[in-house]
Amino acid sequence: MKRILIVEDEEALCLLYAEELSGEGYDVTTARDAEQALDILKRERFDLIVTDIRMPGRDGVELITQIVGLRRDVPIVINTAYQSYRDDFMTWAADAYVIKSSSLDELKARIRELLAR
Amino acid sequence: MSSPSELRKDPISGRWVIIAAERSKRPDDFRPAKPAERPRSVPAFCPFCPGNEAKTPPEILALAGAGPEPGRAPWSVRVVPNKFPALSPGAAPARVKRGLFESMDGIGVHEVVIESPDHDTEMADLPRGHLRDILAVYQARLRALEAEPTYAYTQLFKNKGLEAGASLFHPHTQIVALPIVPKRVKEELYAAERFHKQTGSCLFCRTLGEERAAAERIVRTNARFAAYVPFASRFPFETHILPVRHEPLFSAAAEDALDDLADILGGVLSRMKSLLADPSYNLVLHQSAHPARARRRWPGFEAFAHWYLEIIPVLTHVAGFEWGTGFYINPVAPESAATFLRD
Repeated sequence: MKRILIVEDEEALCLLYAEELSGEGYDVTTARDAEQALDILKRERFDLIVTDIRMPGRDGVELITQIVGLRRDVPIVINTAYQSYRDDFMTWAADAYVIKSSSLDELKARIRELLAR
Repeated sequence: MSSPSELRKDPISGRWVIIAAERSKRPDDFRPAKPAERPRSVPAFCPFCPGNEAKTPPEILALAGAGPEPGRAPWSVRVVPNKFPALSPGAAPARVKRGLFESMDGIGVHEVVIESPDHDTEMADLPRGHLRDILAVYQARLRALEAEPTYAYTQLFKNKGLEAGASLFHPHTQIVALPIVPKRVKEELYAAERFHKQTGSCLFCRTLGEERAAAERIVRTNARFAAYVPFASRFPFETHILPVRHEPLFSAAAEDALDDLADILGGVLSRMKSLLADPSYNLVLHQSAHPARARRRWPGFEAFAHWYLEIIPVLTHVAGFEWGTGFYINPVAPESAATFLRD
């Protein structure tokens, strides 16, 4: 079973993603901020990471650059409500950029695509 | 009693600015109390550094570098599409009108020119030959985009430093092709066309001629280019670089002119760096709409369009007065700025 780490500070979204992605057959773990995510990543391995950008403390861009800087070869999906981070070239550390919306179809499609590589 | 300031009108944009002579400052006044912070520093990862090519989309163009030996990049200048662009390539979009409101699909091209494999070497410090190569790459991409019928205009710009809007220190330039001609570009073309109809002359050639005659705002010149601080500069140390002979499009400039352009651009940036303590700046190419579009809308544009580079060090902030009026208050007289940049 493929393992996915979701990094999202909004509890309701965390629960929604966990439920939806578990329903797709993934083993899902959640973290509420970058620190917690890095802590989990020290102990566990994942096949893919989905992260929000605007979070308390270290933001998602710092998190993904840190993960990639450590040469962790894990695909990363940015999942944010903001288009404006497209101007931040540090987001290129990620493999996909998905805008949050009421439908999770695009997020699920990107996850499937990246895990199939 | 004479006024402590002067209102000046820019002959190209028609915009008025306030040169606040009493508030004139010396370059030292713009030196930051502490060194400018670099954009978010991430020592472990930079998507533009050699070794991380897999993190960028496949390159559109690359000049060969010193590699492939270990530690040497196989490229010296590299152009890649934006990985997460706000605009996507496509067919010419249709305009949709709903009452007064008009919209169209977000069609466009967004490319990034990675200027060097070296993360820490700014454009101001590059060897002139390398700067020339970057200019040649700009030209190649502009020519390619001008040949695509979907696009009407391509903007080339560089944001250097956090205050200028850069998110990443590794030196880079951005190129955005649009399906429409932006308002500011149209305004410059209409002003140039009007002046040409009235006088038979190119507005930019005439402006440069008067600047050269007055000499007080000229920063430096060489055989093909002149750099000057415009009479009605909006910002302190704002500098324009123009070809001295009439030339409508940078993309069509002769290849052998690029050495002289590299020489003057490198000289101006290097002087700004030392004089103003390595300021953030925006570098913007002003040129006509794509030739096919320009010929339809501004017949004979080749006679009055004239490209130039604009360099704006970010030393002051645009605030309510400027947004409300379109007036700018410049606390450094352009003549003083030119003197400092010359010395």
